[in-house]
Amino acid sequence: MAHALAESHEEAANDRVMFGFWVYLMTDLLMFAVLFAVYAVLQGNTLGGPTGRDLFSLPLVLAETLILLTSSFTCGIGMIAARAGNKNQVLTWFGITFTLGLMFLGLELYEFAELIHEGHTITTNAFFSSFFTLVGTHGLHIISGLLWMAITLIYVLKRGLNKHMVRKLTLLSLFWHFLDIVWIFIFTIVYLRAFV
Amino acid sequence: MSKTSHHLPDHPKGDHGTMHSYIIGFLLSLLFTAIPYYLVVSKSVTGTALLATILGIAVLQMAIQIFFFLHLGRGPKPLYNVVFFVSTVGIILVVVLGSIFIMDNLQYNMTGAEVNKYLAQKEGISQLGGEKTGACQGTNANHKVTLKSGKVSPLHTEARLCDTITFINEDDMVREITFGQHPKHDAYSGNNDLLVRKGRGKTITLNQPGTYKFHDHLNPDIAGDFTVIP
Repeated sequence: MAHALAESHEEAANDRVMFGFWVYLMTDLLMFAVLFAVYAVLQGNTLGGPTGRDLFSLPLVLAETLILLTSSFTCGIGMIAARAGNKNQVLTWFGITFTLGLMFLGLELYEFAELIHEGHTITTNAFFSSFFTLVGTHGLHIISGLLWMAITLIYVLKRGLNKHMVRKLTLLSLFWHFLDIVWIFIFTIVYLRAFV
Repeated sequence: MSKTSHHLPDHPKGDHGTMHSYIIGFLLSLLFTAIPYYLVVSKSVTGTALLATILGIAVLQMAIQIFFFLHLGRGPKPLYNVVFFVSTVGIILVVVLGSIFIMDNLQYNMTGAEVNKYLAQKEGISQLGGEKTGACQGTNANHKVTLKSGKVSPLHTEARLCDTITFINEDDMVREITFGQHPKHDAYSGNNDLLVRKGRGKTITLNQPGTYKFHDHLNPDIAGDFTVIP
């Protein structure tokens, strides 16, 4: 009886944590929405300079998108393994997710470096200011997600899987899927839209 | 493997994904990435129709991710997170659509080319995309127009292009210098009105040739004009 009570207490606490994290994700989403609105408004203000259509590489962006979508999928498979209590599979699938995340980050940094090398920086015009802010903010989220993932995986490796660890992984996977959703809109509104 | 983790899978709640649902979600998300990409690259659809299509597919893509990966709406009890999500989407629609609507209206009144010209003149950029903007660089002659006891002196000023003109207010009240006919004014080189406080002056660069009338918006009788020779 006491055991069951403790169990339901823990479950309620778990629900609260999940909801709290959900609230964080939604406020983060609001911040991205504002950055999207700024980009939508300023994307044409290039001061006579080149536009996204002249500079963006669609194949590169498609590769980034496919990598991130796949990482979201492997992250989900990792969660199935976590709930089944399979430590090795968790390490494998989240390891793949981590690697894909790093690849995505590498491609994004490559794109930024190319643009900056050609003289298009955040101070060039309103279009680039809003572009670097929106895409860069997503990139910063990816970096924090990767750090979080690395730390969590080290914990799993050292201490094994338990309820708390599964909860941590659940929050991490929510965050990762969330970044995937934000990227879909960057893919569509920033990159594809430039070629419409 | 810890012992506690063994009873985790038979959780009574149905908010976790199965391998099956993850694979379906993944395949659908690949499909809904390929379709808009193909549409944009192949240019089989163009313009507004294409934009509407790819935006629609992005929303669909989001729905897939939320359903198959985030499992929203498949949790237990009152779905507070769904309620919160829906209200967030509402706020997002207001912020994004509202911004675009308002800014488009501004753009309607001032086109992109005009914005560029205005910025070029303010920043003294003499060339934009290989074309001369007419913006002035460096300083030329300065002309002074004094407003004192409700009188403008001189009433008429002659200047060359890229000279400057300074409106000096020596009265004990604020003057609002506007250009064109009262009460509907025209802007002079991007200046709609110049607020000149008592005892102060305001300078503008004369980068539009022609003859222009100016007056104090608060006392339209206080008026004068200047001619800018190219």
